[in-house]
Amino acid sequence: MASIARCMRVARPLASLAKSSVSRPIARPFSVTSTNAIRKYTKEHEWIDLSADNKTGVIGISEYAAKALGDVVFVELPEEGKKVKAGDAIGAVESVKSAADINAPISCKITHVNLLLEEKPGTINQAGVADLEALMDAAAYEEFTTAEADH
Amino acid sequence: MRPRAGFLSWRCTSRVQHFLVGKNSQCQQQPGQPPQASHHIQRRFFTPQQQQDITSRSVQVYRSTSADPFVNLSIEHHLLQRSHPDSTVLFLYTNRPCVVIGRNQNPWVEVNLGLLRQGVPGLKSGEVINRPVDLVRRRSGGGTVFHDEGNVNWTVICPPAVFDRDRHAEMVVRALRHLGVATARVNERHDIVLHVDAGDARETYKISGSAYKLTRLRSLHHGTCLLASPNLSRISPLLRSPAEPYIKARGVESVRTKVRNVEVDTAAFSDAVVNEFQRMYGSDHVDPEEGVMVGEESALDMPEICKGVEELRSPEWIYSQTPQFTFSTHPSEDDPRPRPSPPPELPPNFQFNLTARHGEIQDAAISGLTYLDDVDSASQNQVLSQALVSQHLHRITDWREALGSASPVPVDSEPVGRWLNGIFLPLMSLSEPAQQDGLKVASTTEGRHHQKGQDIHSWRRIC
Repeated sequence: MASIARCMRVARPLASLAKSSVSRPIARPFSVTSTNAIRKYTKEHEWIDLSADNKTGVIGISEYAAKALGDVVFVELPEEGKKVKAGDAIGAVESVKSAADINAPISCKITHVNLLLEEKPGTINQAGVADLEALMDAAAYEEFTTAEADH
Repeated sequence: MRPRAGFLSWRCTSRVQHFLVGKNSQCQQQPGQPPQASHHIQRRFFTPQQQQDITSRSVQVYRSTSADPFVNLSIEHHLLQRSHPDSTVLFLYTNRPCVVIGRNQNPWVEVNLGLLRQGVPGLKSGEVINRPVDLVRRRSGGGTVFHDEGNVNWTVICPPAVFDRDRHAEMVVRALRHLGVATARVNERHDIVLHVDAGDARETYKISGSAYKLTRLRSLHHGTCLLASPNLSRISPLLRSPAEPYIKARGVESVRTKVRNVEVDTAAFSDAVVNEFQRMYGSDHVDPEEGVMVGEESALDMPEICKGVEELRSPEWIYSQTPQFTFSTHPSEDDPRPRPSPPPELPPNFQFNLTARHGEIQDAAISGLTYLDDVDSASQNQVLSQALVSQHLHRITDWREALGSASPVPVDSEPVGRWLNGIFLPLMSLSEPAQQDGLKVASTTEGRHHQKGQDIHSWRRIC
């Protein structure tokens, strides 16, 4: 759990997607009532968070990849509506004179892209720690709602 | 050298390597290229055993005999995509004069397209003539460089696991040191620089840049080493764009750096690099003349390389792959830089802003044009601006005509159109009859004469 929490802190979503019908079904390790996203990684350092409905998700690159790339100066995102197969390029980044492809971890259809990255490519190097740390985890939230109810 | 006519291909998806020798090439013959009639050219092929030997080697060396930048970059891309994932490949080539921009750069910002059209002097049949300079967008990152016959381009393709940004620049430095270039070193920007004593001071010049292309299975590092370019003094103007003060672009900017020639023979450099490469990767025997010679014909005979050449030559690749940018004649909130004074022939109130994505105009606002009928200028401006939307910048070959036909009423588009032509016109497509062998140069020595006193010029290099 700790490792997932750590991953969440450095989430750099590139694109939202809808799983395509040709993709392999992904077994969900959590119970059906869980609302946790399932994060899986490729060996090429892309990740995918599959949402609880198992139909949509978010793709990004890992903190390791962002560090290895160095300062990102350009991000190219796929067109919305594009259908891709696992392993197809869905975008590209440039950093320190290096052009690198980003590949789709699974076959899917791109439904949304994070346009902020095109405008401010350096965002990909900034872990979203501050924002996420300001939010409550489940235990803190329960405490909060209990306290609210007491008022 | 051991010239070999064949060139080979293999698919890394298969354990058994397939050698494709394409015979259904779809490549369009371009003017100025030798005919590429595969059906009547006698080609030598490797025996299957020879082919197996070469591509199953973990260390491979290729040298191109082509001077065509589109062909060489396509051979390089083919090696990147098709070499065995565990192999390490060295590829060496030299291009005719061309300006090569990085994957995510803007040609309108990086180069003076008008000067590229005019070209640089070169010898043809004993005469010095101006030949146009090709504009090329490569697949690797980084900034803009100028290539000519005084450069050697070196490429190393290796598995990502051993990738390091300095590793192969250091290899080239060792090769240079073997040639007596003692002060070469790799700097913090992964470039190769040369220290030169100038009186009490020590000056540093860049002699080779670095750019990388990283894919799932392979890492590519290449650079262009400046050895004996006869064009040093022409490089800086070629890389100064008249549009740059008006454009704010996403993507990658070049860094302007002082450069000079190493003054080493190109063949000696190539051999020294091969030598270092083999030493580094533990080849059984060190043979500086090692390497498969790749000819243009045999390369173009392979459908995949041929397709690569067509893609790299296409205006869609060169211009439409440009990251989003805005052009504005006057300071704006987004781009408050002061602008150069407009040329006096432009109408005093002329203003023009546009945003282009993938080279296509997304929105435009033009005003201050002189309409020849008595009309409401504001509404005419709007109609004209709207008519520019969705046009592809590189497809506009004359702005006087483009503005004239976009305007519903007669408009004096001459001065504005002429100015915009100087800023935006793409290089003439190579498939059109270009003024290839136009402008003769008076002096017959100017072209190749190497002026040592003028070695030092700023050159916008791979950043």
